[in-house]
Amino acid sequence: MVVKGEPMRPASFEYHRATSLEHALELLSQFGDDGRPIAGGQSLVPMMNFRLARPGHLVDINKLPIAGIEVLGKTLRIGALTRHEAYFGNPLIARHFPAFLDAVHYIGHPTIRRNGSIGGSISHADPTAELPAVAVLHDADIVVRSTAGERRIPATEFFLSAYVTALEPGEMVVAVELPLPPETSTGSFIELGERSGDFATASVGITLEHDGSAVTKAAMVCSGADLFPIRAPEIEDFLAGQPLIDPKAKEAGQLFAESIDPVDDHIASADYRRGLIAQLTQRAITTACTRALGKK
Amino acid sequence: MTEITLEVNGVTKTLDVEPRRLLADVLRQEFDLSGVHIGCAHGACGCCTVHLDETPRLSCLTFAVQCDGSSIKTVEAMGGPSADHLLQQAFKSEHGLQCGYCTPGFIMTLAPFVDEAIASRRMPENDEIREAMSGNICRCTGYHGIVAAVRKAIGSGLGENA
Repeated sequence: MVVKGEPMRPASFEYHRATSLEHALELLSQFGDDGRPIAGGQSLVPMMNFRLARPGHLVDINKLPIAGIEVLGKTLRIGALTRHEAYFGNPLIARHFPAFLDAVHYIGHPTIRRNGSIGGSISHADPTAELPAVAVLHDADIVVRSTAGERRIPATEFFLSAYVTALEPGEMVVAVELPLPPETSTGSFIELGERSGDFATASVGITLEHDGSAVTKAAMVCSGADLFPIRAPEIEDFLAGQPLIDPKAKEAGQLFAESIDPVDDHIASADYRRGLIAQLTQRAITTACTRALGKK
Repeated sequence: MTEITLEVNGVTKTLDVEPRRLLADVLRQEFDLSGVHIGCAHGACGCCTVHLDETPRLSCLTFAVQCDGSSIKTVEAMGGPSADHLLQQAFKSEHGLQCGYCTPGFIMTLAPFVDEAIASRRMPENDEIREAMSGNICRCTGYHGIVAAVRKAIGSGLGENA
């Protein structure tokens, strides 16, 4: 039906409201490649409005009881429907995951953070999105389900390329599980975009374990260096053993920048991105070490 | 076509919609609410912000079918044709708008923020105001007038002399 010349932005689809997780999985299994779950819609609907995504069936999962942040044994389990704003003021995130908390501030803007979900962000796999980077940084497991059962995919193996993940047709992300870091661990996350809330040009996240004076173990993630968030094993090795007071952050940034081959696009040239990533790496390390010193 | 019932600005209506129709388009076309502006249709500009069950939501990123049984409020229900809501009046006096295209979105995003500040009896810092409206783009005012308008509306709600 076209009334008064009204715009029809997305292509046609059928809408299904899932009443339980089992119901959602049955529908997704039935539709296969042609079906997509929809939660907040903050990434999927723009893609549909531009007709970059044209699913024939949307399965609305907003009524399912799969939101929440809880400690399960030695992991923090975040239900797929957890909205981004839930991390602010959450004591578990504040206590154990400072880099995660930093990253949430860079996600879109308040209206998007109120509606967008972690399952959506992870499944969408935008190359510069914050939560995929956080998942890779923290060695998270992506917990996915289908009618065939559950599997757990390490975040480092989940993101395959820009907007491409290891999800099979009929599978849906149900949770993200992060191992709880040791008490002395800290971290930081820093990002630069054109404007507040824009897609990142690049971002860097760091986590550190330390003995009070030196780094004992480090992890680093970078978005903007490749088509998905990548870890930096050579910088992680470089940082282990560095003193917290002068961790050679500048050298680490330069070392990392030399090892990457970032994309050249309309936002930034590859050279600019390389320089930016060197800077962001330096700053993320410095902030994390400063926090480590304050925390001992 | 799917049958849905929406309560919009206090009026309940049942209608048949195609699932692909955006809430923004349905509000404009079926409810004649032309104050719902569509700027970018991908969540970057904030012009289409409405309240869905009392919280700001981008109506260009929402399908009308998802809102079956929900209550929706648009800028038309804020201060009526005379725009006499506290925040609308402050936008007027503080040069918070020029061309006006983005204004409904700013009002719908910021009204709950103003209400919350008044309820907690605290004047927010300018940085907090700018963060609260960071999802809305204005190409005319340079934002200073909008920040001033928010301060004025909160100030009058707190009983201060603006």
